[in-house]
Amino acid sequence: MWEELAALNWALIAPLLVIELILIVVALIDLSRIEKANGPKWAWVLIILFVTGIGPIIYFIFGRRQ
Amino acid sequence: MQWAVIFKKEMVEYARNVKWIWVPMVFLLFGIMDQITTYYLPKILESVGGMPEGAELNIPIPDPPAALYMSISEFNMLGVMVIALISMGLIAGELKSGVYELVLSKPVKYSNYITAKWAGLSLLVLSSVFLGYLGGWYYVNILYGELAFSTFIVSFLIYTMYILFFITISVFVNTLVKNPGLVLFLSIALLIAITIITRIFGHILSWSPGHLSSYVNEYLHTGTMTGDMWATMATTLAIIVLLLFTAVTILKNKEL
Repeated sequence: MWEELAALNWALIAPLLVIELILIVVALIDLSRIEKANGPKWAWVLIILFVTGIGPIIYFIFGRRQ
Repeated sequence: MQWAVIFKKEMVEYARNVKWIWVPMVFLLFGIMDQITTYYLPKILESVGGMPEGAELNIPIPDPPAALYMSISEFNMLGVMVIALISMGLIAGELKSGVYELVLSKPVKYSNYITAKWAGLSLLVLSSVFLGYLGGWYYVNILYGELAFSTFIVSFLIYTMYILFFITISVFVNTLVKNPGLVLFLSIALLIAITIITRIFGHILSWSPGHLSSYVNEYLHTGTMTGDMWATMATTLAIIVLLLFTAVTILKNKEL
């Protein structure tokens, strides 16, 4: 398993991780800045951090009050 | 002048609710996701195991045009969904919350209001789609083989019409109903209906906007613009103008 992970070309995959990281960080900063979220804030923190891949997107679409 | 003020207000709002960050990032993700997973699929299957002894994996590797078209397919599914979600409250939300009355209590022309909002949304979405498509093109060149930049640009321009068409549908539906959820549903339902009708009567409706994404595919493979493609783009443009005009009329006659 580990040899295979090392064999992956990380330069190719790194952008995906960077995008994901940017989305998570921006979502968390935004969450801390807004006055009130659509539901409890701590729940959104969990969603942003632990729903793999689409957590921040779900927050941006449904978490902010329009 | 007035148009520019509303347009600027839209831009400020998109910056404030961080749409200018997350929408481009999400489209970039959609644009490059498939190229990477398809490329690594054989390796992933190999390392996961569970294949019987001697089983041969024959996953065909797509050629560069087909690989780039994967980005478009992704935009057509998830991208359209995201566009519908961010545009569902565009006008309907303001109608509901009362911001709209606030805006129009000043002498604002309905046409300025609609077209400025339309242009703002289009700028945000098209920049994002371009970024994602550019990312997809970059990965195609690295992983699947060379594809000319000019081919990429022209295919993007064809696809632009499709995106604008959908944005216009959404803006139009926004003036019809007040409920953002209903706007979301109606705009996607309309797009699906147009796609289905185009698929059934495609031979008669050869200029229908529903053909646009298959024309993108065709162009990517052949590299030539056919008469039908130009005609379809012209028809789409005409429909966009007509829909915007109708939206303005509807809003004008709307009882608040």
